Amino acid sequence: MIKVDNVVRNYHAGETVVKALRGVSLEIKKGEFLSIAGPSGSGKTTLLNLIGCIDQMDGGEISIKDEVISTMKKKEKTNFRRNNLGFIFQTYNLIPVLTAYENVAFVLSLLNLPEREVKDRTMAILKEVGLEGMEHRRPSRLSGGQQQRVAIARALVKNPEIILADEPTANLDSDTGREILELMKTMNEKHKTTFIFSTHDKMVMEFASRLVMLHDGQIQSDEKR
Amino acid sequence: MKFLISLAFKNLTRYKRRTLITAGAIAFGLMMYIFIDSMLAGAEIESVRNLKWFETASARILNDEYWENRFQKPLDLSISNPDRIIQTLENNGIRATKRIVFSGDLILNADDFGEDGNLAATITAIDPVRDFRVFGFGTTLIEGRFLEPGEDAVLLGSWFAEDIGAEVGYWITFVTRGNGGFYEAMDLEVVGILNCPNPNVNRALLMMPISTADEYLDMDGAVTEINVALPDNADVPMEVERIQEMLNGDNLTVMSWEAMAVDYLALAEAKRGGTSTILFLIFIIAAVGISNTMLMAIFERIRELGMMRSLGMSDTKIRLAFMIEAAGIGIIGSAMGIVLGILANLYLVNVGIDYGFLLRDMDIGYRLQAIFRGVWNPGTMIKAFFIGVIISTLVAWFPTKRALKMDIPACLRHQ
Repeated sequence: MIKVDNVVRNYHAGETVVKALRGVSLEIKKGEFLSIAGPSGSGKTTLLNLIGCIDQMDGGEISIKDEVISTMKKKEKTNFRRNNLGFIFQTYNLIPVLTAYENVAFVLSLLNLPEREVKDRTMAILKEVGLEGMEHRRPSRLSGGQQQRVAIARALVKNPEIILADEPTANLDSDTGREILELMKTMNEKHKTTFIFSTHDKMVMEFASRLVMLHDGQIQSDEKR
Repeated sequence: MKFLISLAFKNLTRYKRRTLITAGAIAFGLMMYIFIDSMLAGAEIESVRNLKWFETASARILNDEYWENRFQKPLDLSISNPDRIIQTLENNGIRATKRIVFSGDLILNADDFGEDGNLAATITAIDPVRDFRVFGFGTTLIEGRFLEPGEDAVLLGSWFAEDIGAEVGYWITFVTRGNGGFYEAMDLEVVGILNCPNPNVNRALLMMPISTADEYLDMDGAVTEINVALPDNADVPMEVERIQEMLNGDNLTVMSWEAMAVDYLALAEAKRGGTSTILFLIFIIAAVGISNTMLMAIFERIRELGMMRSLGMSDTKIRLAFMIEAAGIGIIGSAMGIVLGILANLYLVNVGIDYGFLLRDMDIGYRLQAIFRGVWNPGTMIKAFFIGVIISTLVAWFPTKRALKMDIPACLRHQ
């Protein structure tokens, strides 16, 4: 489903060139619950960003569902992300002036769906992530775990085939982090959504059905569990 | 679209104080625009009225060669049969009056004025019966009485009387050259003082009966001008053409007030241009304020921006969202500006601003003696409102463009 082929990404800091990814190759199948792990600076977020079509690679090729994303234009990438990808961020990135309901419905509004459908799907997904009755709360009135549940609902509501999560539990305590991972795992099993998340948290790695370890921009190990 | 509007207006409440301060800058700009536009429009309307009522009338009939030589005030370039022309005009429903304008030296006697002296002056000889039907001097008498036909009397403008220290009952001597070049001296009693709202007139006004002037100057019934009053809603150029046709063959020319007041009109236009520049600068300052506010708002929410872009929101929609937000600031600011403008204008229309201290000794072009009053101009307010909203909306484009140049990972990393 996802094919990463010899991907290279360099960052330039003045005259210094930082090699974030040095020829990474990887294949990810539909429905996998995959963790990209490694120490800080190993390139895991960079790889996630490249798969998520929000960064530009310097070499190699990535294709998703047989579409080569590395050659896509900016507008095509935007459309691709809108229709196929969901994102979960470490800091949730909810819009503080919107309610939980509006934060989730926002994604569907981008797809120009009928209002009735937006409402039904948003309410259903909020119920599924355990936020029934909290639809009208703004993020400031939700706990960290609840905010991340809203973010998960936001990622899932459009039924994407792939969800990319960058350190989704890093801002949560271990109990809440476990709850969030269990929720993500449940959603992965229920919806057959492919989850790819970056982490350096051991607990998160334990949850993964496949663990790809990165070190200095290269794959150190790739093990299925 | 509904979502974008809702998001933009909710974002406005995020930083209430900043929104209000920025809106305040727009409001101030708009208030100034409405206020100054009202004051200038009021000054122009009143100036034109005072020009026509006290200086030029609606139109003037002159000898063909008079206008070119008007500064010499030549008595020989005259209209020889004024009464026939006035009769013709009146038969066509047009009010008209004749005048003789001549210049000379005003001799001031120590008996009345404390010390002897003289100064150059211009006398306007009027028909005491007809003149008030064309000009507006009828309500300006503040002391003494009006002129009567045939008497050796003079009316003075109040500022002129004040400047020379004249009072009702004083005598002045006026030395001039009559028609043909002979010297003539006339002793005239000050019988009244007029307070003319047109400062240019009030500063130099001397009026005497035309019959007396005719005799002294040996005009033999001729006059230097016939002034015509037209209704306010008249099409002046068309009426001028019509009068010209009536005079066909008399070697006379008809000039509209606009042709005679061309200097004033150019000055008013220049003032309007200058004021527009100042107002433009006020709007630029407000626009920079809005742009800065939007820049701060955008960069404070740069991670949200990254999130929205990650989820597939197009740059166009993001730009639109911020522009709607800026339009919201513009709407709030413009609405505040209109309210403030109306309040300021209420005072300007009903009370006005007294610039008498300035206008007494200085000619700024406007034919106003002291008080600048405003006028209501709903068109300006509507225009100001839309200018405020449009400028606010447009200036948000630049900071948004700058933010959208950042790549998405950089937006998401932004602290």
